[in-house]
Amino acid sequence: MSKLTLAIPSKGRLMEQTTDMFARAGLVVRKVGHVRGYRGEIDGIPEIDVAYVSSGEIAAALKAGSVHLGITGEDLIRENISDSATRIRFLQKLGFGFADVIVAVPTCWVDVATVQDLEEIALPFRRLHGRWPRVATKYVNLTRRFFGAKGFGDYRIIESAGATEGAPAAGTAELIVDITTTGETLRANGLKILDDGVILKSQANLCASNAAAWTPELEAICSTLTEKLAISVPAKATAR
Amino acid sequence: MAAETAQNLEALAMQAQTLMSVFTKAGYDAVAPSIIQPADVFLDVIGESLRARTYVFTDQDGAELCLRPDITVPTCRLHLERHADPATPARYCYNGPAFRYQPQGATASHPREFRQAGIERFGDKSREAAEAETVAIVIKAIEKVGLKDWTLRLGDLGLFSSVLDAADVSPNWKKRLDDAFLKPQSFREALKAFATGARVASQSIPEDLLASLRRDDLEKSEAAVAVYLEENAIELLGTRTLSDITEHLIVIAEDRQEKPLDAAAIELIARYVEVSGPATTAGDKIASLLKGAANGAGMALETYDRRLALLANAGIDLERVTFSAEFGRTLAYYSGLVFEVNSASLDAKSPLANGGRYDGLMRSAGAQVEVPAVGAAIHSERLLAATLKRAP
Repeated sequence: MSKLTLAIPSKGRLMEQTTDMFARAGLVVRKVGHVRGYRGEIDGIPEIDVAYVSSGEIAAALKAGSVHLGITGEDLIRENISDSATRIRFLQKLGFGFADVIVAVPTCWVDVATVQDLEEIALPFRRLHGRWPRVATKYVNLTRRFFGAKGFGDYRIIESAGATEGAPAAGTAELIVDITTTGETLRANGLKILDDGVILKSQANLCASNAAAWTPELEAICSTLTEKLAISVPAKATAR
Repeated sequence: MAAETAQNLEALAMQAQTLMSVFTKAGYDAVAPSIIQPADVFLDVIGESLRARTYVFTDQDGAELCLRPDITVPTCRLHLERHADPATPARYCYNGPAFRYQPQGATASHPREFRQAGIERFGDKSREAAEAETVAIVIKAIEKVGLKDWTLRLGDLGLFSSVLDAADVSPNWKKRLDDAFLKPQSFREALKAFATGARVASQSIPEDLLASLRRDDLEKSEAAVAVYLEENAIELLGTRTLSDITEHLIVIAEDRQEKPLDAAAIELIARYVEVSGPATTAGDKIASLLKGAANGAGMALETYDRRLALLANAGIDLERVTFSAEFGRTLAYYSGLVFEVNSASLDAKSPLANGGRYDGLMRSAGAQVEVPAVGAAIHSERLLAATLKRAP
């Protein structure tokens, strides 16, 4: 019979926290074959094939249906899958990987506290500087959807792969859309979050792909897994 | 209608030839700007809202490029390359493909690849004459192709500004309403806020900072903001300067002092926005609205009447012309007259041609100054469909 494929993050904090969570649920995930390989299995649930995938690519794998399940941040799912409501089922919030996707502007913009204020300064800014205010972000789609819903379109996205929070000080963008956990990095870079600037409160999720091939047997294995994992999820995860 | 079938290709080519001959005979230079354009100019001009409808890509060198979503901006760039002085008068015409992503899926009347035949004229000093001439040539070209059942719809983004003058709206609120006019949603909100005098946003700014700002003493005001930043250990960073921030704070401070808009002014603005109908009656309607205005009609209607007279002189039957105050509010870069030509055989959301005045565009494309500019483009596939008397 075919196996259930579960994609988990292949490196970094997310991988460690995922392993810890499995351990708390009494599940041991171990790599198969070479220690640096990318396949694994879970002791006691032989029907599950574990694939170690970089967390950014887990969303793509879920979107394509090349894996049944995946553990990744909700931010990455919402950003990379425009029709995530139909393609993805969010099975379980996991209580780690917390990150808020936010709109932040320089703290010295004492005249700007809301998206409406941004709209108000956009045209005067363009008159003076010859272009719309630039938003540095790697969350192009979330940004567009968020501002679009608020009727704000007078800006320009500058795609940023890393160190986004440094863009305003460096002069490569006027404001940013990025993730933050404590807000410490934002403060250190002289930025503040807009009053209505929280786009998404994200955390790691166990997600199922509707595009993958499911059978009743695989659904049953999936239920077994989620039941075991649910035990190890702290209450605050679902409270969010 | 797919341009790919041989028959349509031939018909489109013949139609384009006719249109271009009308343009060149009228003294317009035929040009062929590049199809692939730097994405920068378009995104800076049009903003992120149209990016979602533009095919943007990165080439092997990492340059951000796009398939031109229209031919107006490429013609501006071409003009800037040809003339050191951007205000040099020039007239151009073109025929070629443009590309737009269609979020609802590409259809016959909204294809993702379409052909535009159009004209642009720069540097004309007599504004209404240039506008009337542009409209007249487009209509003449359309008629020459064989389409007789056209109607013309006019709007005027500049007229709204005159209406605000007539209503004696304070300079601050005039500027804000003018800016907001292009966005119906924020316009309604702004008007509502000005009616009560309440200002919802920016509650977090300390009152004593606002109280210390004076429009007539920018230097002192900037110093006050600088002191505030320093006392609160806030670093000044980014491309918005201290004076940018101070100017906006002054606007906010003035808004708080501002008296609510009086009921008569609100009534006038709200009723003006609703004006829509035959161009000649619309003029009368606006005249009667302005009769009771605080400052009288002023210059507002003179431009309107002169433009209609010029159109009539150019042989346009005013019976087929309508005016709508709201029209043009959501179009990208127009700044004055806007118009579109419709045909009874196509739905109203698929105009055969549209155009208008866009004085600010040349500056966005790289010129140091504003350049008077009027232009129009004909949607070739729709025109062909309409002349063949069937829906595309």
